[in-house]
Amino acid sequence: MASPPVEVMAPTTAEASWFCCGPAFGPCGTAGGGACGTCKSASLHCAWPNTSDACFDITRPDKCGDDLLRRTCGHQFFVKHLCGTTEIAVTIRDCGPQTDLWCGERRCCGGNCATNRLIDFTPAAFTRLGSLSAGIIPVSIRS
Amino acid sequence: MENLGRRKFLTSAVLGTATTVVGATALGSLAPETAFADDKWMLEPDAVDPDFAEGRITGIQGSMLMVTGSDRTFHRIQVTGGTSIWKLRNTTFDEAEVGDGLYARGARMPDGVLAADAIWLNIVNLQTHIVAINRDVLHLDHHGHRIVGHVVSGTTAAVYNGTPAISDLSLLQVGKHAQVIGAWRPDTNEVDIATVYAAAA
Repeated sequence: MASPPVEVMAPTTAEASWFCCGPAFGPCGTAGGGACGTCKSASLHCAWPNTSDACFDITRPDKCGDDLLRRTCGHQFFVKHLCGTTEIAVTIRDCGPQTDLWCGERRCCGGNCATNRLIDFTPAAFTRLGSLSAGIIPVSIRS
Repeated sequence: MENLGRRKFLTSAVLGTATTVVGATALGSLAPETAFADDKWMLEPDAVDPDFAEGRITGIQGSMLMVTGSDRTFHRIQVTGGTSIWKLRNTTFDEAEVGDGLYARGARMPDGVLAADAIWLNIVNLQTHIVAINRDVLHLDHHGHRIVGHVVSGTTAAVYNGTPAISDLSLLQVGKHAQVIGAWRPDTNEVDIATVYAAAA
């Protein structure tokens, strides 16, 4: 049976990584402002896999069994590391991650686990939750 | 700790005396998720996070980094004895060089200085496809740009399907996707690989 849509009004869990956007150094310099046009690495922004039909066609979270609701540019989520107490608000400014490349991947912390990559953060947002060198962290997400 | 209290503490810590500079991390655990676990954060959607900096090092004066942001913002970043520094691996301040790119997280002082809890030098996180695998080198495609990824003996690790990191890279395959956490070699298309994430066949 298919999973119910992830409303994320109640917290859900996911893996999260980070991405750069806007002005940046090195290989990030070509990233641009993301699907919404105004993404910046130094702002508390995020990428969501279902911001539009075109976005969903790339990211395909459904292939991992995640039926994510459409959330468009400007929508805010509240996110927290599964082992942290800091909760931050992040605003959708890009499409991503490409969930279907990593189906079934899991990260755990303190006995709590998160499966599948459903959200990415800018470096500013990610570093409020964890270390950039960790690459991937387990988080909870709510609207 | 209340954020204002944290700033006052850091102000006195960093600016108090030249010989007793203490780390921002003296406030708590070195683990980032706990070092910053003191409040809720909500900014205006497109506001720049005041306690974060991005850019390239343009000067080093004692323990102060002069950084020019990619958006041309100028940052002064105070490094203390408690600042965690990453450059391919956890390292020390003397590894920082003019020209390095960085991200820094800390607390912004009233005088505009960012007292750094953590600095990541040249760190990149690349979503790539593996184009070729040679001895100690991965040739990667990153959104149409070629990246040369160097395998660093004793440091580079692979994570397959989320399992614990190992040094064995033999399961990487040409044509497959890979996520690379690494350290950029400034002004080149080359990175030293810290961790490569891949889906094992």
